[in-house]
Amino acid sequence: MLRSVGKSLWLLLFAVVLVCGIYPGILWGIGQTLWPFQVNGSILKGPDGKAVGSLLIAQPFTKDEYFWPRPSAASYDGTASSSSALAVSNYALRYRVAQAIGPIAAYAAGPKQGQLVAPDIETWFQADKFGGKPGIVAQWADAHNSIAQTWVTGDPTHTAYVAAWAKAHPQIVAEFVKANPATPHPQPSDLAVVFFEHFSKDHPGMFPSSVTHKGPNGKDVTEIMPVKSGSDIQANFFDMWRQDHPDVALQNVPGDYVTTSGSGLDPDITLANAEFQLDRVAGKWAQDLKRDPKQVKQEIGGLLKQYAFSPGSGWFGAPIVNVLQVNLALRNRYGAPS
Amino acid sequence: MWTLPILLLAVTILISIPLSRYFAWIMEGRYHAPRVLAWFEERLNSGQQDWKQYTIALLVFNTMLFIFGFIVLCLQPIAPLNPLGRGILAPSTIFNTVISFMTNTNLQHYSGDQHLSNFSQIFFILPNMFLSASVGFCALTAIIRAFRGERTLGNYFVDMWRVVVYIYLPAALIIGVIFMHEGMPMTYASEQTVTTLEPASMGVDDHGQAKPQNIIVGPVAAVIPIKMLGTNGGGFYGMNAAVPLENPTGLSNFVTTFAMMIFPFTLVLMYGRMLRRIRHSVVIYSVMLTMMVGLIAWAVYWDSMRPNPAFTGTALARDYQLTSPGGGKRDITVPAVASLPVDQRLGNLEGKELRFGTSAGAVFSAITTDVTCGAVNAEHDSLNPISSLSAFTGMWLNCVFGGKGVGMINFLLFLIIGVFLAGQMVGRSPEYLGRKVEAREMKLAVIALLVHPLLILGPSGLYAATSWGVGAESNPAAHGFSQIVYQYSSSSANNGSAFDGLGVTYGLNSNPNPPAEAVPLDIGTGLVMLFSRYLPIVAPIAMAFYLGRKKVAPASLGTMRDNTATFGFLMLGTILVIGALLFLPVAALGPLAEHFGPIPFGG
Repeated sequence: MLRSVGKSLWLLLFAVVLVCGIYPGILWGIGQTLWPFQVNGSILKGPDGKAVGSLLIAQPFTKDEYFWPRPSAASYDGTASSSSALAVSNYALRYRVAQAIGPIAAYAAGPKQGQLVAPDIETWFQADKFGGKPGIVAQWADAHNSIAQTWVTGDPTHTAYVAAWAKAHPQIVAEFVKANPATPHPQPSDLAVVFFEHFSKDHPGMFPSSVTHKGPNGKDVTEIMPVKSGSDIQANFFDMWRQDHPDVALQNVPGDYVTTSGSGLDPDITLANAEFQLDRVAGKWAQDLKRDPKQVKQEIGGLLKQYAFSPGSGWFGAPIVNVLQVNLALRNRYGAPS
Repeated sequence: MWTLPILLLAVTILISIPLSRYFAWIMEGRYHAPRVLAWFEERLNSGQQDWKQYTIALLVFNTMLFIFGFIVLCLQPIAPLNPLGRGILAPSTIFNTVISFMTNTNLQHYSGDQHLSNFSQIFFILPNMFLSASVGFCALTAIIRAFRGERTLGNYFVDMWRVVVYIYLPAALIIGVIFMHEGMPMTYASEQTVTTLEPASMGVDDHGQAKPQNIIVGPVAAVIPIKMLGTNGGGFYGMNAAVPLENPTGLSNFVTTFAMMIFPFTLVLMYGRMLRRIRHSVVIYSVMLTMMVGLIAWAVYWDSMRPNPAFTGTALARDYQLTSPGGGKRDITVPAVASLPVDQRLGNLEGKELRFGTSAGAVFSAITTDVTCGAVNAEHDSLNPISSLSAFTGMWLNCVFGGKGVGMINFLLFLIIGVFLAGQMVGRSPEYLGRKVEAREMKLAVIALLVHPLLILGPSGLYAATSWGVGAESNPAAHGFSQIVYQYSSSSANNGSAFDGLGVTYGLNSNPNPPAEAVPLDIGTGLVMLFSRYLPIVAPIAMAFYLGRKKVAPASLGTMRDNTATFGFLMLGTILVIGALLFLPVAALGPLAEHFGPIPFGG
């Protein structure tokens, strides 16, 4: 026994020297000598010579002039990789994807082929009937409590709006407490469903959304108000609109355009996704540079082809492009977006 | 689609054949060490050990490793190589993590990129990965020597030294060089800071300045080779091999997957070589390979060739009549669902990375659970539920090649049960390697075999029924249950992968609002890992010893031959029947219920 303890300590000591000192030291020496770019994080330099990002880590792009990466469950935080961990059966997954598609969905056939669905979603929403029953917002909150709660907690201005509403309607809150004795002091998130039910009654065909307008002193003021149209409605109610219109043919969006990756930091998109975004990107650059859109589209399309590569030299999968690499090329060719 | 798995299997099989010869040569001690290395080996050699001494040495060493790991993790706040000032982990998380790495499980209730300093990565993770991976290897070697009828089983410390120095280190160096070339960081720095190409796309701070993007780097290329070769699986980054800096390209993913398969494959052949029963080990190899091919094909078909059912529609409403316990009947209508316009030709892309190839996530999910590695390159929580059954099955059977050494040992347990059943069927007393299998061996085999299902089903039930687990579920209904079952399957199989949504991460001790379930889950899974590691190592060594000291009966006409296809089918049948009996009910409540049930469910 004691002998084993002694030998164990020797083994531990030898192993620590070997695998904590010598082994990583050898790799470090080889790597820093032969491939300094790779072993320090594949950092790319921008037009001004400053580090603009890692070739291997996705970073957010929001301007229309740039290709957008896949959505990220990690908010593109390079210090905290994360997946959505949403199960197939979790409504939050379907809802997130529907939200992303709503504002950009387009008809695939029929008289409106190629046009956006968004205006029709708004018209349908203002009529305020889902499945033949009135009160879209109330039905939305009833069917998906957790989504309604996420709306309340997801943004401090939303929480404040519901809190203010609760203050103004003590009677409704009292009724809620009576029906739910387990929550004697309901928080705004507890009241989410009740709030939306009443909102739906008070403002049929409307949804609370943040609006910026000129205040009394001439400054911009942003506040939550009931609205009849806008991207919030297109996004939040696309899935319900779809349920009311199941047979309408819509253009598919690429799968990776709406799904989050395993790490939240996937630096690539499929070539199909890039081509899906090409009209937007080329159109915006053409506008910025006052050039012929067709020509710009051809140029950028060529750029995509040039940068596209396939996993395992095409043996393992479909062609992809590195978003930062392509956007850096755009930036170098066309200058800073306006 | 199929190129990746076929190529992977072909390359691994090809390389495992010559490599097994090398392994046997090393473990038999037929090499001549350079004088320096020989000095170390001599220093460690405490002489020949019988099975009890060998087992005690193994357990004592693991105790030392536990103490060492505990101290190193506690030192994190005051140790060097910690420029980001990481504090100490929560005590329950330290307990869980130390056991997890000591038992080769690498279940991670923390996130490497958020909670560990480079000091901990080097001085905690690295030695644990090398040493814990060698323990199973040595145990198998001891069992082989016992089966050969040797009185003494060699010396544990010398065996450990051989495995680390002559097998793991050279392999890790080669693979590490490939990884660095592909883009894996290898630096003692902790962080790179960049200004984004689109100004302020990461948002602005309180002073109106654009936020930079910070990127964690470190000695990744040192950790990852042994993480895969040792079937450890504990990632440098939180999301493991899905993170681009931990798995930069399609080629690195191929090598990563290969690296976790190669040693478990090789060890089966080494078993045959050292026993001089190559054909017998080829039969075992084929049985394992058959199961693995099936599990990979299942995962790829249901995940990479099928859409994510969250976005597809069901055209018709479905009506169900439920009978409640009181006797009343209730009608439930699951409404029709319209599809969302998503192009799903590439299969289920939620939680997948693109640069590995179309089927890479599914292939990896099957292999990592088969060989009990536990690395992931995709989010298992978001796999199509029926596809995740492949991952569950790999962990439940725990012998589809399995971890290095341990997988082969688990297979031997099934084998003993198999020959016993066959003996009962033909009315002969069962024997293995020409030696009679009697009550004592059967008892030891069954104890070791039952530890695994008991430690999965018991705690899963407990945690799924109480507040220890329920609140940690992040997904609804059947899938929430699957999350808990997965956590315990992974712990008990010493696998280490997870359905990551489960709220287990306490993180640093300074975390102001940890999830309430983190501590019970830390302790529960920690204990399961501990018991399911050492019992199934110790009992089989004893079993092998008792079997090995018996007289070898000469083969006769009535002897069941262990090197034929018939024997292979017998084994396959035994494993599948026992596996199904143990785990089919829990599969029906988890992944199968989710697959057949309404999607989406609630919300």
